[in-house]
Amino acid sequence: MPSDHRLHPSSIFFALAGSLRRLALPAVLLLLTSGRSSPQPSAPDGWGPVGWMNRWMPGDFAIANWQFWILLFLIPATIAAIARYLSFRLHYEGTELVIRSGIVFRNERHVPYARIQNLDAVRNLAHRLLGVAEVRVETGGGKAPEATISVLHETVFEEMRRRVFAERALQHALEPLPEDADLTPQEDDSRTLLYLPVRELVLNGLLDNRGMLVIGALYGVLWEAGFQNVVWDRLGNWYGPGLLRDTALSIVTGNVPSLSRIAILLAGIGGLLLIVRVLSMAWSVLRLHDFRLTRVGDDLRAEYGLTTRITATIPLKRVQSLTVSETPLQRFFGRMSVRVETAGGHGSPHDGQAKQPRERLAPIIRRTAVPTLVHEVLPGFTLDGLDWQPLHPRAFRRTVKPGAIMSVLATIPFMYWFGWAGLAVLPFALTWLLIVGWMHVRHTHWAFTEDVLAYRSGWLWRSLTIVPASKVQAVGFVESPFDRRAAMAGVRVDTAGSAAPMHRISITYLARETAATLYERLAAQTAQTAFRW
Amino acid sequence: MDSGADESIADGVSRHVDPRWISVQRIHGAIFTGVLAIGSFIGTIVLWVASGMLFLGLLLLPLWLVFIVALAWHTQRWPAIAFRHTWYRVDEAGLEIRQGVYWRTITNVPRSRIQHTDVSQGPLERRHGLGTLVVYTAGTQHSEVKLYGLEFSIAQRIRTHLLPRDHGDAV
Repeated sequence: MPSDHRLHPSSIFFALAGSLRRLALPAVLLLLTSGRSSPQPSAPDGWGPVGWMNRWMPGDFAIANWQFWILLFLIPATIAAIARYLSFRLHYEGTELVIRSGIVFRNERHVPYARIQNLDAVRNLAHRLLGVAEVRVETGGGKAPEATISVLHETVFEEMRRRVFAERALQHALEPLPEDADLTPQEDDSRTLLYLPVRELVLNGLLDNRGMLVIGALYGVLWEAGFQNVVWDRLGNWYGPGLLRDTALSIVTGNVPSLSRIAILLAGIGGLLLIVRVLSMAWSVLRLHDFRLTRVGDDLRAEYGLTTRITATIPLKRVQSLTVSETPLQRFFGRMSVRVETAGGHGSPHDGQAKQPRERLAPIIRRTAVPTLVHEVLPGFTLDGLDWQPLHPRAFRRTVKPGAIMSVLATIPFMYWFGWAGLAVLPFALTWLLIVGWMHVRHTHWAFTEDVLAYRSGWLWRSLTIVPASKVQAVGFVESPFDRRAAMAGVRVDTAGSAAPMHRISITYLARETAATLYERLAAQTAQTAFRW
Repeated sequence: MDSGADESIADGVSRHVDPRWISVQRIHGAIFTGVLAIGSFIGTIVLWVASGMLFLGLLLLPLWLVFIVALAWHTQRWPAIAFRHTWYRVDEAGLEIRQGVYWRTITNVPRSRIQHTDVSQGPLERRHGLGTLVVYTAGTQHSEVKLYGLEFSIAQRIRTHLLPRDHGDAV
C-alpha cells in the first residue's frame, strides 16, 4: 500500500540502547562484584556459568563475566529489535490508524482516530541528531500507551499528527480524507498561549524544588552501583557525618557548642540548600527549555526540553479536569501552575518520568495570566464569574475535635522523652492545628454553574479544580456518623484521569440540604450530557 | 417476584436488594469465622505450649472463646442491618446505590457514563439465585461500582437497561 510507513532504520539502535540502559546498572554491579570475587576474571576456572563455558570452549579463548552477561542479554534484544523493525507497518485507513507488527505472532492493531486521547513525541539528543521521534499514541482505555512507536522519522510523525487530528475533525462528515489532501490550513490556526523564557524557568526551578529529586536520583544510582561507601568515605575526610550528631548531642546535654562548629554546621546546611536549589534551577531549564504552549485548532500543544524534546498534543475535548495550584513560594512571586488531567494512559511505571510533565499545562504562569489560559482550555468558562460558596458556618467547629485529638497524640512521644516538660508541646500543637483548621475552612469554597463544578481548597498550598459536568463519571454523597450528628454531609465527584489526582473533588462539611441539592443537581446535569472521551 | 418482564426495571423506585442476600452473607460470615477460629485456636495452643506456662492458657483460651463468639454473633447479625441500609434505584438517567450503616454513601452513575457492565455469580450466589451487578465507568475511584445481592434475573434486566443504546458517546 502506498501510504505504508515503516520504522526508521535507526530504531534497531535505539531499541538496543534502551536494553543496554536497562542493563547498565546490573552490568556495573556485575563488573564490580566479579572484579572483587575473582582477581583474574579471564582465568579458565572463572565464576558461575562463565567458568563452565570457558572450560568447555575449545582453545584458550576466555571471556570475562560481565562481557558474557551483557552478550547473553543482548542477543534476544537484538533479535527482537530487528524483527520489530522488519515487521512493523503503519498505515492510515479511513477512520483509523492501523499498526501491524510481529513475525511469528502477528498483531494488527486498529486505533480509531476518534479514540486517540493524545499523541506525544519524545525526542532526545540522539533522536534529534537523526531526525526521528519516539511516538506515543494514547487512548482512554489502558494504563499504558496504546502504542509506543520507537522510532519514526519526524516527517512521518508530522503526517500522523496532521492526519489524526484533521480526520477526527471531519469525523462527523464521515468522509475519509483523500490521500493527497492539503492539511496545512489547520496549522495556520495556531496561537501561542504561553511561552516560558529562561528567566521564568530559573524562577520555576527556584520555586518548584526538584533539586532533592536530582540528588535522590544521583544517590540512588550511586547506591545501586555500590559506590555509596566510597562517597561517604571521601566525604567523611572533610565533613564527618558525626558532626551534626555531636552538635545536637552537646546541645541536649546542656553544653554550648563552640562557635566555629555552629558556623561550619550552618554553612554546611546553607550550602546544601543552595546546591539543591541550583540543581533544581538547572533541572528546570534543562527539562522545560523553550517551553511553548500553543493552541492549534482544537488542540493544545506543548513543546519543551533542551536535550530531550517532548511534543505533547492534547485535544481540548479530552481535558477531563483542570487544576490550578499555588505553593506559598509561588504566591510570594505571584506565580501559579496549571495542570490538566486527560484520560490517556497513566501510571505506567516505566514511563512515569515522561508521563508526569505532560499533565503540566503551565509549570509556571503569572497569576494574572491564569484566567485567560483557563478560558482557552475550557471555552465558554470564565474563572471570575464564579459564585463561590463557603462551607457550613459550623465547619470550623467540626475541625476542633480532631485537632485536639491529633495534638494530644503528637504530645505523647514528647512526654515519653521529656516527662512532664513535654506537655509544653500541647498548647503549640493545639494552636497550630486550630489555625490550620480555621484557615482551611476559610479557604475552601465550591461553585456550581450549569456546566462546571469548581472546588478550591488549601491555605498555604492552594489548589483549584474545575470539572466540566460532561466529564463527571460518578457522583457520590457521603455522610459519616459525625456528619449526621451535625446535619452535614459531603459530595464527591469522580472523573477519568490518573489514579492519584493532585486534587480530588471531595467537598466535606456542607449543610446536609446543600449537599443533597448539589448532589442531585450534579447527578441530573451529568445524566443530561453525553460523555465525550 | 411480582411483575412480568414487560414492566420496565427503570421505574425510579428505591428498592432493597434480595433478602436472600442476608443468608448468603451469613454463610460467608460463618465460613470466615470458622476458618479464623481454627487458625487462631492453633495459634493459641502453640503459644501456650511454647510458653510452658499453665496460667497463660487459662487466660488465652477464654479470650479466644469470647473473641470467636463475638465475631460469630456479629457476622450473623450484621447482614440484616446492612441489608436495611442498602437501596438501589434505577431510572432512565442511570443507577443510584445507597449503602453504609454508619458511613453512608450514595453513589450515582449516569447511564451515559457506563462503559460496560458485568453480572457475576459466585457458587453460593448461584445456589440462591442471586447475582452481582458490576458497572464500569471511565472514572478512577468509582471505576467499578458493585451492587451485591440482586436476584439474578433482575440483575440481568438492569444490565440490559443500562447497556448504552445510543452511539452518542462514540465520538
